[in-house]
Amino acid sequence: MRTIFLFLISFLLLYVDISFTNISPIDVAGLNVYFVPKLLFMYILLLSYYLGLKWSVTTALILGLMTDVYIGTIYGLHLFGFVLFVLFMNSAFRVFYRDYVTLFFVIIMNTFLFDTYIYLMYRVIGVIEMPVFDYFALRAVPSLLLNSILYIPLLIVVIILSKIRKSVFNNR
Amino acid sequence: MRFLNRNRMIIVIVSVIVLILLIGFSLSDRSHTTKAEQFTADTTATTQRVIDAPFNFIGNIFSGIFSGFGADKKINELEAKLDSLPQLKADNERLAEENKELKEALDVSSKLDYESINARVISRAPDQWLNSFVIDKGQKDGIEEGMAVMTPKGLIGIVKRVNGMSSYVEIIATNTAKENISVEIRDGKNKHYGTIEKYDEKTDTLLVNNIVNEGRINKNAKVYTSGLTGDFPEGIIIGEVVTSENDSYGLSQNAHVSLASDIDNIDTVFVLKRDPESLGD
Repeated sequence: MRTIFLFLISFLLLYVDISFTNISPIDVAGLNVYFVPKLLFMYILLLSYYLGLKWSVTTALILGLMTDVYIGTIYGLHLFGFVLFVLFMNSAFRVFYRDYVTLFFVIIMNTFLFDTYIYLMYRVIGVIEMPVFDYFALRAVPSLLLNSILYIPLLIVVIILSKIRKSVFNNR
Repeated sequence: MRFLNRNRMIIVIVSVIVLILLIGFSLSDRSHTTKAEQFTADTTATTQRVIDAPFNFIGNIFSGIFSGFGADKKINELEAKLDSLPQLKADNERLAEENKELKEALDVSSKLDYESINARVISRAPDQWLNSFVIDKGQKDGIEEGMAVMTPKGLIGIVKRVNGMSSYVEIIATNTAKENISVEIRDGKNKHYGTIEKYDEKTDTLLVNNIVNEGRINKNAKVYTSGLTGDFPEGIIIGEVVTSENDSYGLSQNAHVSLASDIDNIDTVFVLKRDPESLGD
């Protein structure tokens, strides 16, 4: 039962991320300001804390592959990025999993680092030419603010999900 | 513990190698899409359409309500245009017929001939880095890789990957679209030819280079596809020249071209299928 909900929510979040492209970038004083939600990524990170590493890595592999194929230009970036950041968070920040506030900062910081990783990879491959300052001012910081707002409803969803029974046949 | 660390190290090295191989595979010049890619992309696109449907429905209701304000004025304008339509239609049919007869008499195929396939944009790339989008038409609708894609305003992109029921389109304003699209610049009676080198993100313009230096190209000169490369038909508008300058050796010119299409607002597109007879010219 939980598995079904877990994947349904994953797909839904992937589409919410995609749907944001209808409103972003926003034109502010002649400049394109990018608000990039990372709902799916934050969800995968939260799963590693609330449901365990196994669930998180499995979701990261499947949804990472789907994102790569759907975006369609460079394969492997999201697939490896998702798994890498789940493992990184699980090994480096486990001691910080004390309260909601700390968890919030850890997740948001990882979201920021993940976007920077994608930016650096695209820069190295030569797909994009956005200067570093523009990246931080027009994309990284606005996205950070957006993700901070989106984090709260997402956390509620994951907490509810963690309380759903694993199987409909298990009465305990 | 040491054994575990060694195993971890091997996993990391293998993962990095696989990642590099995947990137290399993605960047290689492939002529077809694998079945696995088609299946995954089609599944995602279909689900996207299902999820989008209720949101689109609600959106259409609201846009219908808001567009109702001031509709009378628009209706009057459209009615006035409609009055001249029968004459325009008759002229168009007469010219098309005349054109066909002349072509048959000369026995030539034209690079200007193409069929268009209407398609709707399902989604843009969610990471918002790449200027690309997915359309709701694929192999079953006759779409092939390399076809030109345009909006009602002008050329917008190239079909890069075709799935069964959807296709992946790269906008010409992305630096992965290295197709060397040949363009024709019409500056009054003069014609200049060049190739699109890249998209300049600082000025939001396309950089057209290798233009033979035969006099200055004026601002606002129209830029069209030349039909000399790929499956692109001739005469599709791309945009207007913003600035032009000599290259560093002074042998050729470079021109900055603003796109006619709005890359941030794409809803309906047309995939252009060039007349196969003209491809052999």
